[in-house]
Amino acid sequence: MLFVSLRDLQWRRRRFLIGVLAAGLVFALTVIMSGVSASFHNEIRRAVGAFHVDQWVVPNSVSGPFTSTQVFPESEASKVSALPGVTHAEPVALFRSTVTTDKVNDINLIGIVPNGIAQPTIVDGHGVRTRGDLVTDRSLGLALGRRVTLAGHEFTVVGHTKGITYFAGTPAAFVTIADLQASALDGAPLATAIVVDGTLSAPPPGFHVLSNPRVEADLGRPMRHATQTISFITVLLWIVAAGIIGSVLYLQAIERSRDFAVFKATGVTTRTLLSGLAFQAVVLALCSAIAATLLAFAIKPLMSMSVEVPRSAYVALPLVAIVIGLVASLVALRRAVTVDPALAFGG
Amino acid sequence: MGATGAELKVRDLVIEYSSGGYPVRPIDGLSLDASGGELVLLLGASGCGKTTLLSVLAAILTPACGTAEVAGIEVTTLRGNALTQYRRRTVGVVFQAFNLVPSLTAVENVMVPLRAAGMRRRPARERAVALLKQVDLEHRLHHRPSDMSGGQQQRVAIARALAHEPPVLLADEPTAHLDYIQVEGVLKLIRGLADEGHLVVVATHDERMIPLADRVVNLTPRADTSPRAPEKLDLDPGELVFRQGDRGDLVYVVESGRVELFRTRDDGTEEPIAVIVGGNYFGELAPMFGLQRSASARAVDATTLTGYGLRDFREKYHLTSEARVLSDAAD
Repeated sequence: MLFVSLRDLQWRRRRFLIGVLAAGLVFALTVIMSGVSASFHNEIRRAVGAFHVDQWVVPNSVSGPFTSTQVFPESEASKVSALPGVTHAEPVALFRSTVTTDKVNDINLIGIVPNGIAQPTIVDGHGVRTRGDLVTDRSLGLALGRRVTLAGHEFTVVGHTKGITYFAGTPAAFVTIADLQASALDGAPLATAIVVDGTLSAPPPGFHVLSNPRVEADLGRPMRHATQTISFITVLLWIVAAGIIGSVLYLQAIERSRDFAVFKATGVTTRTLLSGLAFQAVVLALCSAIAATLLAFAIKPLMSMSVEVPRSAYVALPLVAIVIGLVASLVALRRAVTVDPALAFGG
Repeated sequence: MGATGAELKVRDLVIEYSSGGYPVRPIDGLSLDASGGELVLLLGASGCGKTTLLSVLAAILTPACGTAEVAGIEVTTLRGNALTQYRRRTVGVVFQAFNLVPSLTAVENVMVPLRAAGMRRRPARERAVALLKQVDLEHRLHHRPSDMSGGQQQRVAIARALAHEPPVLLADEPTAHLDYIQVEGVLKLIRGLADEGHLVVVATHDERMIPLADRVVNLTPRADTSPRAPEKLDLDPGELVFRQGDRGDLVYVVESGRVELFRTRDDGTEEPIAVIVGGNYFGELAPMFGLQRSASARAVDATTLTGYGLRDFREKYHLTSEARVLSDAAD
């Protein structure tokens, strides 16, 4: 009997197509949303991992090296280096800044020791070696060799990183710690955190030690509201998709009331009718999921933010779509159940 | 044909349903017998209960009381799988508006009941093609209803009704949507099915079908215009003249006293319509048009009425009297 449902979809193919495109677009937005949410998590992991260190030492009043700033003498790093369990320790300084090209760009400015342990992985050019060197993330769009002014100081782009951003896609820019101190701290030999190779058991007085996971958790905190909002919007979008699929099916159930009445009057069981409608819901949902996948690929490059759709989102989409389709079809199913076969006798 | 044992036994059948808040009883105490090979015509005007009776025979509507036995199966008590099997195997229904599925071709429409009963695709298609050939539609197998004439659609509907070779075929106004050329073909087909051994029950208001029928059940009694002596009635206060739903063959003239007309709702409450006083008449439409009384009449005071047959009413009273018609609502 599924052939009757299939023929009905073919018969009403324009409406079906509109339903597929509308629900597909909504599903595509949920995929994009999951990609944005995933990129928030991924960039945190990449940003913290970019430093290639085991631990972070920050003042007690600071929750993490990326989210709050309290300066201290960079000489504290030497003291930490001498502590048991520490292989190497260096000072770093992290500030928010801007760089002006044809527009003002926000950047996360990071001062590191040249050729030190906090040197990020370079994909083009070389790392920070001397004063005046600037390594930026590719997403900032500054070509190698380009000269830019940061806080009144001239820098030359000597290298590129890839995917090192945080605070919702704000690119990281690496300079020597001396340049950062000159730009932001009036030349004072200060730092905001100490990066450590090794395992520090007891930090110096006034400091505490953070593992990489704790730093990631701290860096993710400011994004929590954003990710919660994205999750909420995703649920709303699922409801919209359910509404679209439900509307298409309910309209069809209304228009097919006479057909259902005739089927019932000629001995077609209600269960058979319901399975036919459920089949239509599944077909509509699956086609919407396929359309959503294609639309998501088309929309993704148009987004100014990084969108990193996890593979699991594409795998889960058809399953979620089927569940939504079946839930959405309940109203139509109820309609079909309540159709009186006596309706078939109408003139 | 495998249509033997197609007996129909209807006994004291009463069908009642609600319409607009009022109880309606289109069939009241009907009894009927028919057997395989017969073409039974349920004849009557709109609203007389023809289609309602077919609905009962198709096990779609449950009567208020009485029994209806089709091919040895008591249809009024069928439930669940027995009901499904009855609708599939025992009766085939041809609906007034054809009711073909617009998205399906002719052969697919006929396949629906076969596939629903679990028949595999290929044999179902072969059976559907054979049935369509039987109704001379082998050249329209793959046409959708919108590409076929009314007569062709009706024949597809008949083929669908015959899908499981049921002993009983029920047809509701089979000529209603057809021109005279198409009617001829469909009538021949229906008569042929009866001749093959099916019991064919047709609900229609089309009197052209009467010569084809083996049995005619007139559900709209004709007006009785035979001469009839006037009947004088002396009523006590509160005494009923007639009840809503009764058949009636008399028109009443109020000689003295008062009569109130009222309708009874589904919930048993009474809705007053009019009070008829001396010199006026009421209850003329039921005998004129063979309708049931649409309201009840009850004496308010000690009342004297004279009941006239339709012919007497027309000849001796109505045409010469200046009495005003106050009682339309009662009919």
